[in-house]
Amino acid sequence: MARPKPTTGLLAPIALAAGLGLLACSLANALARGGSDPMLLYWAGVLLIALPVFWRLTSREASLGERLALVCLLGLSLYGVKVVRDAPLFTFSDELVHAFNADQIAHHGELFRANPILAVTPNYPGLEGATSALMELTGISSYWAGVLVVAAARLSLMIGLFLLFTRISGSPRTAGLGTAIYTANFNFLFWGAQFSYESLALPLLVVVLMAVAERGASPRQWAHEWAVPIVLGIAAIVVTHHLTSYATAVFLAALAVVYWALRRDWRWPNPWPYAVLAAVLAVGWLLLVASSTFGYLSPVLSEAFEAIFNTASGEAPPRGLFQGKGPSIPATPLPARAIALLAVVVLAAAMPFGLKRLWDRYRREPYALIFAAAAISFFATLLLRLAPAAWETGNRLSEYLFIGLAFVAALAAAREWRPRGQRWLGRGALTAAFGVIVVGGAIAGWPWDLQLSSPMRVSAEGRTISSPPLALAEWARREIPPRARFGATIADARLLLAPGEHVALAGKTPDIEDILEENALSDWELPLLRREGVRYVVADRRQIASDATRGYFFATRGEDERLLPLATVTKFGQLPGARRVYSSGDISVYELERPE
Amino acid sequence: MRGHRDLRLVGALALACALLALAIPWTGPSLVFAAPLLLFLPGYAVTAAAFGRRQLERPQMLLLAIALSLAVLTLGSLLLNYLGGIHPLSWALLELLVVLASCRVAAVRRGNPGGPPRWRLPRPRGVEAAMLLGAAAAAIVALVLSASAVPAGDALGYTQLWILPKAGSGGSEAVVGVRSQEQRSADFDLRIRIGTERVLRRSFRLAPGEGRQVRLRAPTGGEGEVPVVATLLRHNRPFAVYRRVRGSLSSPGETR
Repeated sequence: MARPKPTTGLLAPIALAAGLGLLACSLANALARGGSDPMLLYWAGVLLIALPVFWRLTSREASLGERLALVCLLGLSLYGVKVVRDAPLFTFSDELVHAFNADQIAHHGELFRANPILAVTPNYPGLEGATSALMELTGISSYWAGVLVVAAARLSLMIGLFLLFTRISGSPRTAGLGTAIYTANFNFLFWGAQFSYESLALPLLVVVLMAVAERGASPRQWAHEWAVPIVLGIAAIVVTHHLTSYATAVFLAALAVVYWALRRDWRWPNPWPYAVLAAVLAVGWLLLVASSTFGYLSPVLSEAFEAIFNTASGEAPPRGLFQGKGPSIPATPLPARAIALLAVVVLAAAMPFGLKRLWDRYRREPYALIFAAAAISFFATLLLRLAPAAWETGNRLSEYLFIGLAFVAALAAAREWRPRGQRWLGRGALTAAFGVIVVGGAIAGWPWDLQLSSPMRVSAEGRTISSPPLALAEWARREIPPRARFGATIADARLLLAPGEHVALAGKTPDIEDILEENALSDWELPLLRREGVRYVVADRRQIASDATRGYFFATRGEDERLLPLATVTKFGQLPGARRVYSSGDISVYELERPE
Repeated sequence: MRGHRDLRLVGALALACALLALAIPWTGPSLVFAAPLLLFLPGYAVTAAAFGRRQLERPQMLLLAIALSLAVLTLGSLLLNYLGGIHPLSWALLELLVVLASCRVAAVRRGNPGGPPRWRLPRPRGVEAAMLLGAAAAAIVALVLSASAVPAGDALGYTQLWILPKAGSGGSEAVVGVRSQEQRSADFDLRIRIGTERVLRRSFRLAPGEGRQVRLRAPTGGEGEVPVVATLLRHNRPFAVYRRVRGSLSSPGETR
């Protein structure tokens, strides 16, 4: 009997809607850079991408191939929303750090070169190593090479989740819905899409989980064939990102324990050998190559625990939701807060239905049980947002736990909902709920004032001008000889790394921050600058220059630009032999005399 | 690999892509060949080698081709780091080696050729093809728009002024630079005082994004280090110092 001829279903019109949605987002960003406030156009663009895809995924008619194409379209289009926000420059704080690492690999032909701002990052060179291959073979910049690598990782994430959910649920419809729901996680639109090591490692984790699931479902004689992708995937994760490598080991260990609990058997298909492999590789890498990870992660985790304890015991007030760190950061509007909270309510409302279906149908399936535990844990991590130093830990965890939540929510959504006996009403309500969680998730995961781009490069009289910190970085790349070391505020230093291509120190370790912000110099400061080999000090009066996400842009007319006292800049002129060699108004560069 | 059409095609494509990506000096065309070599072919070949006779479903094959290519890149950079360095030729050779060796293993494991996997792709009809093209066009326009600088009347312009020793002059020459980042063309006066007496004056008009450089030399017959002060004034505010930077010039032979 002839196989049915494959068709594209409704893929073409939905792809056209997604393309137009992306164009709307790009237009909204361009208008925002020009000084307008096109927030509604932007959200309309996001919904134009997301809603048609989800509507189609709720149908029973779409084929497996069409569902897969739709979730890929959704994942890549939402990644496009991030790309059109700030192309052709990285503007997220971690991106500039990783771009510097990639540039270093491409220029020097070796890994593990020091990073002055995030010292742990060169010890996990997977992302930058992969990016450098594209840079070296084609000559493209770290920006475009990074965009391509993250896009490939995003594609892997979407296909991997779809296949994983298909394998566990046995239903392409549930899998499509679950994969789409995953795109509503708080970090999907921006944080998880940036050029940073987790953006590659998390998709690889999903691929490993999918491969382990497929191995478990294969006939015994074929199971060993999955060993190659599983081992390669685990090894690649270990050299790419610390937290994801630990998450891989923990997930596989939990899976092995649940297999044992359900079947009382450690033999195949129990994945314990891979859990051991992941743990050994992660710990081995930590001890032999990346021991600085201890110093990087331990303060973050200990502060988070302390904050949880202090908040829970009433010693410290809870953190207000939707609050930035500084007084100059605009508040999230009330309707936006309401949508973000509504998104959590919608997800919570889906839980009982999803968990009941999971218990009825999948309680003998180890993956499903772990997904259920992850879904419940997700809501527990929301409480971390109330503790000042723990909210970021909770935010980062949500990306992993949302895999389970997406599966449970998809089980709820895959039910036959027929309000008033009308199927289309049920599909419409589900699609509207999806719109709420996509928009609400994006609002909860990324500051409101940063959803749209700000002016960094501006067209004036047919030519292009750059924002003060970007112009500083461009000047340094053009005029300052290689290997010069700068001391600068957080934002200036990051741009001096990339695209400035110079070593720039910033922050507390070493204590450049205090040197730059105090009105007068203390005895210890010049010796510290000399010890660190700092030749150029960037004195920036803009207070926003200490903000790693907002300090890169033009100041605009009517904006309340807060400045540090003039003495924070002029004090460097009193150093023996120091001279102001660069000035652009608020930003000055002092060249320090070389010690005899 | 005789008889295994997909493996022969993958091997030949990898070879052609490696050669062309290395040979073509232009970024765009080079990327057309480098992208499949780095982001698809190694993963396909490794998957074919791992699964041998067993034919995977198309979505699984697609996923593993991309994901394992990323894994090969990730681990490959580590390998190259210890085997002679990371550079274009070593990348091309490594990727080619992975593809050809994996294809060979796949051919051996598959045994008798049973024909390559045949996957049927849906063919869009005319209207569907037009809509897909429209989607691609919209995405391209979105990207181009995002990469374009747009006017922002409220953005506050400014001007950069700097002074640096000229490279290789040992400090006996310096360059004073001005670059306008103003929103409109503006007139400037640049005054450069060398030592205590000599003053250079330059007046010029700069369009947005335009720059001007003035080269300075140490005065002949002088000894030691001569201070240099460069002051930038704007025509509409001739008595207010707009920017000021300081440097020095050393007598030829002296170094700072």
